[in-house]
Amino acid sequence: MKNSISRRNFLGKAAAAGAAGAVMPSLINSCAPDGRIKDVILPEFLDQAPDGPELKAGLIGCGGRGTGAATQFISAGPNLKVTALGDVFIDRLNSCRESLKEKKDNEVADENCFIGFDAFQKVIDSGVDVIILATPPFFRPEHFAAAVNARKHVFMEKPVAVDPVGARSIMATAKKAESMGLSVVTGTQRRHKRDYASTYAQVAAGAIGEIVSANCYWNTGKLWHRDPNAEWTEMEYMIRDWVNWCWLSGDHIVEQHVHNLDVINWFTGKHPVQAVGFGSRQRRVTGDQFDNFSVDFVLDNGVHVHSMCRQINGCENNVSEYVQGTLGSSN
Amino acid sequence: MKRFWIIFLPGVVLGMTLILGSNKAIRVTSKNEFCASCHIHPQATTSWKQSVHYITRSGDKTGCVECHLPPKGQGHIPAKIRTGLRDLWGQLFKDPEEFDWEEKSRLENARKHVPEITCLNCHETLFTPELSKEGEEAHLYYDQAEKTDDLHCINCHLNAGHYIEGYMHGGNESFGMQDKEPEIIYDEPAPVSSFYSFTEYIPGSSVSFEMIAVPGGEYIMGSPENEPFREKDEGPQVKVTISEFFMGKVEVTWDEYLAFYAQTSSEGRTTDTEGSRARSDADAISGATPPYGQPDQNWGMGDRPVISITHHAAENYCKWLSQVTGKTYRLPTEAEWEYACRAGTQTPYFFEGDPKDFQRTGFLSGIRKNDTSKINTFVIYHGNSPAKTQEPDAVKPNPFRLNNMLGNVAEFCSDWYSAEAYSIYPESGIADPSGPTSGEERVIRGGSFRDQAGNLRSAARDHTKTDQWLRTDPQIPKSKWWYSDCYHVGFRVVCEYDQKTGNY
Repeated sequence: MKNSISRRNFLGKAAAAGAAGAVMPSLINSCAPDGRIKDVILPEFLDQAPDGPELKAGLIGCGGRGTGAATQFISAGPNLKVTALGDVFIDRLNSCRESLKEKKDNEVADENCFIGFDAFQKVIDSGVDVIILATPPFFRPEHFAAAVNARKHVFMEKPVAVDPVGARSIMATAKKAESMGLSVVTGTQRRHKRDYASTYAQVAAGAIGEIVSANCYWNTGKLWHRDPNAEWTEMEYMIRDWVNWCWLSGDHIVEQHVHNLDVINWFTGKHPVQAVGFGSRQRRVTGDQFDNFSVDFVLDNGVHVHSMCRQINGCENNVSEYVQGTLGSSN
Repeated sequence: MKRFWIIFLPGVVLGMTLILGSNKAIRVTSKNEFCASCHIHPQATTSWKQSVHYITRSGDKTGCVECHLPPKGQGHIPAKIRTGLRDLWGQLFKDPEEFDWEEKSRLENARKHVPEITCLNCHETLFTPELSKEGEEAHLYYDQAEKTDDLHCINCHLNAGHYIEGYMHGGNESFGMQDKEPEIIYDEPAPVSSFYSFTEYIPGSSVSFEMIAVPGGEYIMGSPENEPFREKDEGPQVKVTISEFFMGKVEVTWDEYLAFYAQTSSEGRTTDTEGSRARSDADAISGATPPYGQPDQNWGMGDRPVISITHHAAENYCKWLSQVTGKTYRLPTEAEWEYACRAGTQTPYFFEGDPKDFQRTGFLSGIRKNDTSKINTFVIYHGNSPAKTQEPDAVKPNPFRLNNMLGNVAEFCSDWYSAEAYSIYPESGIADPSGPTSGEERVIRGGSFRDQAGNLRSAARDHTKTDQWLRTDPQIPKSKWWYSDCYHVGFRVVCEYDQKTGNY
């Protein structure tokens, strides 16, 4: 292989699939103004995934995000195929299958299309190299464990879990994947963007001094919902309407705002040790979630991080992060 | 030049011989057979051969040195010399018959003989593909926890190198189940109408226990500054008046506790937060969830004092006992406990003797042979039972007829612990004090089978150590009913009595 980065390396060392192929860490050794030296490890961004033998992916969860992730997987480089699909609903699977065929000329054989709550295992067992997990996050820990147990590389959408039990399961499975040399990448895409990475490198090098506070926002209009249908069971209805149900989505903070909070954790290099917040439900049509939140996080060095998020139409919108340092700010 | 060679060549030869010789010596002395040739506790070899480190899936046997000495290049040789010298000393001057091997094998001692690096040296990944769900959670806890000396692989894998019969580290759902129907079942609790000692019957069980009438009185709580082994928290001394009460003659036994456990324990945690549990007038007492591991340490139950239970569990036992007997049972206050223990004495013990003569620590302790018959008559302690609890009638009672006030197991009191607790009481004296109004840990008193004589004085104070005592419980959340790492504390109940009304 002529490429300096082989596909095996690509899979073995850094990242698989995803919107932007992210490969091979490079070390930025920079000197902060006060003389501190920080080693910042950042992925090196390629324009596309390196060439190599065909890589077959199986998609679990064929909704909008799953169809998007599968399409992006195929677009990420040469010789990439989606060869198996799994979902609980046949209509979602069919529309995804159609879309892949139409847009990417990617056909999935009948015997590799699986329907039902056990479809995930069948996709995993269908002879694929990479698994794409894009169901509602409630199912993620179980699916991730099954994929790693079968020694598959995994791309999984965020969030990776909806509760502490699920989060611990993900952490343990990730350790197993690490010890088996598998590659795992999640859909927190800001970590894989050139502009975020170069900003991080500068902030870490001390461009804005010590971080003294941070804010993050996910203030947008209403997300979609589905109306109940007399032909559906309660379970079917909830799963079709999943972004409105806590047990399936983890609520707004976990489901969407996790992107911004993750950036703050990344830039500050810490996780909060304390949090006080409130929220309420004003306009949400279905489900059991709130539609607005405000949370004051505190880090172990006393730095406060304020987070707000909202899903209500007709208000000021803002999805971003802001970090204040002693010498300047970054947003 | 010739002289140089004459000195140099033999030097090289001698050096080589020494290196080869010492390598050979290290090899020979590292063999399992060499270890077994001096270590005259055959049980160590037997239990090793029954363990998973001998009967392995791969067929490779893990030898003595691989677990008991750090790996080569990581302090192997110094540790080998150190343990070698100690073994030689033991071989020459000590009598293996006198060792209590069971005690030496207990976790806190075993930790000293298994450097954790030896475990991690072979077990490079803690997250193997076949790891169970429980194992994942436990290893994640280990991985994320602060690395301290008391968190060691063998906390959970104590039987990995030496097989221990009955050892378990897992959910113990069947614990405390009775396999046969008891012959007598009491229907009614004991009627009490006057202030005399009585035998209580636990309705719905075959269990009875003796309650001693402790007359009211006055005493000096705490110890004088010149008392041997005195700690600062035992003062200033306070004059305390105590009202009369009944107190359990012995520490609450396994039989008594299991009567509570059998009637109230719940198999798992319920998620019912809206039903009858949420009603403010609920009249049921909720009982313990099943333990993780073997709370009686396989020492046997029956009349032995209950151990491994939390302060919360002890308090709930008292609430339940009050409900089924129609009396007011509770934990003693610290002041009541010391009053009952002293039983009219103001000396370090309720029997004659100087703590210094009974203490067995330090290099010369083996040489001094003091008369310890007195303390041996009244107390189960390190000097006569270093490894485990004993049945209550193994010793004589104090002047109030209470057994094991000192020793056997330490006992929970109802007070919050504070080192300055006594300084908040007025100098003029106080009646029935109940300690600080809030705190983090609870008072425990009386010392246990593990303690030396100095810690067993009537005035000696100690307290619960919640975090430390739950260190190896891998459950999330950790149990509030069972301590995973505390097997030397139990409790004793008191029953209130009102002289004026005759109500209890």
